[in-house]
Amino acid sequence: MSRTDAVTRILFEAFSKAEIRIFYLLGYAAIAIFFYGVYVQIRKYRRGAALRLEGSLWSRLGAMVGSVLSHRTIDRRDPAAGGAHRLIFYGFLLLFAGTSTITLEYDILQPLFGIRFWHGDFYLVFSLVLDVAGVALIGGLIFMMYRRGWMKLPKLNYARPDRVPGDVDFNRPQYRREDWAFLWTLLIIGATGYVLEAARLVWLHDRVDVWDTRWWSPVGALLAEGMRALGMGAHGGGLLRHGLWWFHGLLALVLIALIPFTKVKHIFTSAASLMVRDPLASQRLTRVPDSQEQVGVAKITDFTWKQLLNLDACTKCGRCHEACPARAVGAPLSPRDVILSLREFANATLESGVLPDAAELNVHGKGPGQVAMETLWSCRTCMACVEICPVAVEHIPIIVQLRRKLVEDGAMDPLLTKTLQTIHKTGNSFGESKRKRGSWSKGLPFKVKDARKEPVDVLWFVGDYASFDPRNQKVSQTFAGLLHDAGVDFGILYDGESNAGNDVRRVGEEGLYEVLANANVAALQSATFKTIVTTDPHSYNTIRNEYPDFGGKYEIQHYTSFVKQLFDSGKLRVTNPLKMRATFHDPCHLGRFNKGYEPPRDVLKLLGCELVEMGRSRANSFCCGAGGGRIWIPDPVGAEKPAQNRIREAAAIPGIEVYVVSCPKDLTMFEDALKTTGNEGKFVVKELIELIREAIPAALNTEVA
Amino acid sequence: MKILVAVKQVAALDEDFEISSDGRDVDPDFLIRDLNEWDDFSLEEAVKIKEASGEPVEVIVASVGPEEVDESLRKCLAKGADRALRVWDDAVRGSDPIAIARILAAVTKREKPDLLFAGVQSSDQAFASTGIATAGLLGWPHGAVVSTLRYTPGAKTAVFRRELEGGLLHEVEIQLPAVLTIQAGINTPRYASLRSIKQAAAKPIEVLTPADLQLANDAVGEAGSLSRVRRMYIPEKGRAQLIEGSPAEQAQKLAAIIREFKGEAA
Repeated sequence: MSRTDAVTRILFEAFSKAEIRIFYLLGYAAIAIFFYGVYVQIRKYRRGAALRLEGSLWSRLGAMVGSVLSHRTIDRRDPAAGGAHRLIFYGFLLLFAGTSTITLEYDILQPLFGIRFWHGDFYLVFSLVLDVAGVALIGGLIFMMYRRGWMKLPKLNYARPDRVPGDVDFNRPQYRREDWAFLWTLLIIGATGYVLEAARLVWLHDRVDVWDTRWWSPVGALLAEGMRALGMGAHGGGLLRHGLWWFHGLLALVLIALIPFTKVKHIFTSAASLMVRDPLASQRLTRVPDSQEQVGVAKITDFTWKQLLNLDACTKCGRCHEACPARAVGAPLSPRDVILSLREFANATLESGVLPDAAELNVHGKGPGQVAMETLWSCRTCMACVEICPVAVEHIPIIVQLRRKLVEDGAMDPLLTKTLQTIHKTGNSFGESKRKRGSWSKGLPFKVKDARKEPVDVLWFVGDYASFDPRNQKVSQTFAGLLHDAGVDFGILYDGESNAGNDVRRVGEEGLYEVLANANVAALQSATFKTIVTTDPHSYNTIRNEYPDFGGKYEIQHYTSFVKQLFDSGKLRVTNPLKMRATFHDPCHLGRFNKGYEPPRDVLKLLGCELVEMGRSRANSFCCGAGGGRIWIPDPVGAEKPAQNRIREAAAIPGIEVYVVSCPKDLTMFEDALKTTGNEGKFVVKELIELIREAIPAALNTEVA
Repeated sequence: MKILVAVKQVAALDEDFEISSDGRDVDPDFLIRDLNEWDDFSLEEAVKIKEASGEPVEVIVASVGPEEVDESLRKCLAKGADRALRVWDDAVRGSDPIAIARILAAVTKREKPDLLFAGVQSSDQAFASTGIATAGLLGWPHGAVVSTLRYTPGAKTAVFRRELEGGLLHEVEIQLPAVLTIQAGINTPRYASLRSIKQAAAKPIEVLTPADLQLANDAVGEAGSLSRVRRMYIPEKGRAQLIEGSPAEQAQKLAAIIREFKGEAA
């Protein structure tokens, strides 16, 4: 045997046959328990409703592997945690791969085919790589322990805003115990690996093939030198190695066996969740087939298998908890806890061999694991949770599915009931006559075309707020003037237009949404136009993403990008630069939902404004509180409103002059919040449209066609 | 046990309405139709009794009106009524509350319910007499403006309360069968989702003519009515003006107006 041939991993040397047999027996048992657990989990998901995924499996797999390897989603808004997780992930991955290849050679390739590769230079390089991987793993784990134990991050506090102290599932100390047990188990496995390696070196220090190559395992070698310096001899090293070998091995086997039963399973569930993600999950909600008797989710088994998988994917990282505007103002909702609560419910009901009675599967209510209606109605469907989730949990479709059931049962605020009835009756949430929808245009010096009667280039979908709310009507008139001055051939649908339904759908009134979507698609079909422009981000979202499911496929732009084009093509020119210190609020439905972050900012800069960003901007923009139908539900008296929270954030910008919005509901919400937070007079809230008009005084514009 | 609920599809005025050419009603083009607000409460009360009952209770809604009333009836079916009846033919046009009550009484004789509910009044015409007149025609006892009701299916009597002026409550025990007119606010009417309204299309709406109910043509319509609408109009607007300016100026202008009104020289 050559020297390099002899250099190899010491495996079972000095073990009795009986010991080896016991070890294998335990190994098989651990793997059996693991697979049984996997079976139980898969059976749990399969108890959910059927769902067909769109798109190819391979592209899904590619996207998932990309996200996992890059840690792109885990890095976001918490790079330190992302970095530490990366160390643990890659450390663990390499060590696991190392151990697996040993098994591959020792148990499969060598006995069956006589192939050996785990020796010589390959072994030495691998041994170095694994030693480094171990350092990465332990480093990452120690940071995570520091983070959990000492950083006191609010997002890692498991106390629930939808429960009170004393409730059985208020702060769930079992989660904390599990977190620490997981970290310690990995740390002990890693640390004992090194000590085991060192003990083996001490034990076999008189064997040249072992001792002379020791620095290929630098950490182990260093420890071995230390042990020898402290007087440990070959005999002591041997004993230590033997004992630790068992300890280390058994702990690793226990970990493997417990994967499907503990948070360790996120290795699989989070990856699988990323693989089944739907990038439009919140923007385009799912239709209820006409043949389907029941609407929404009543029982845990009404969720799709994918949603049940989502529940298990959650790693309790708390990013959604942190981002949620409802949670931020003390409402009884945390998206994290909706998911965890339902997960606890699913685990309690769907993991046993027999499915409990339907009555025990009802997820609505105030019992352990159930979701209260107050929680569901607190949601603004602003998508902050879905957007930041590193493992592709889709909270919004889950919440809307639960709301659909509440709507069916009439379990909602009386004012919301009233509004839905009003929208059904009049087609708008203001309870105004349909005929009055275009009345705001009467005050203009020119006639706004009726797109149903004559062809236009641009069909302007105005939306409820911009049509009926007196303050927003002024903005609509201003925008009409701008379009007129820029020589745009545009028209509106007048009383043919109905509420676009975006928020009605997010309330969970799917039947009414169908009525509205069908009515609008029919009205749009009756008009002749090239493109739709809308001043309302909510309408923008539903027409762009949801109307195609109702036979309405249109080219649509939000006015911010349309106006940007008018500037680019010279149809609009700034004649009176504004020189204001401005901050911009991204509307949820323009920004997060449809990634329209740049055009409004570009326009603001064109107007000569100095743009100062708020801490929470773009994807992390903070909802005004009006989304998801919340504009029709009164906020609790005395508590802070999301809009107030946001205005306070803006007020902290030194020298701020104007808070710019580009959504009718935002204008309403923030002008109110400006007053109620006592900031009136310090700065103003304005629609971007109003600023554009200020920068292009009508008389000075020469571009009138 | 059976509860018959009489409902009406009412009209609400749209913006800028016009009076019809005969000058006796609003031009129907300017009306928005919906179920009478009070009927939401009476239907809810019936459905609540049905849901709380140990024995089977059938809730039937009945209305007098043309085909478009079916839309409102479907809403009632969505909210839990078991079946619906609608009575119409051209002869019914122009009926006053008494003629309508004749039809409802005939329906009641056919269905033989233990209780007949009606709203206290309709929000468009506000006669507040249809329910009571029906009781009169049937010779049944009645309770008007009921704000609380206690009734267990199977019992021979029901107990209800009425709110009187001055914060007084009137508690009455009534022999069945009886007619009760239900006051708004007695309960919280449920929401009928659009989905449930769509699904209610499967439940039957039976359409009857007065002849089916053995009613002669002169018992209904204008012929069967005891009253007749002469005209409907918008009264001339009184004079009103907004006085603007500082409080002192406003006071001065107001004083001048008063002096003018009294015939004093300015």
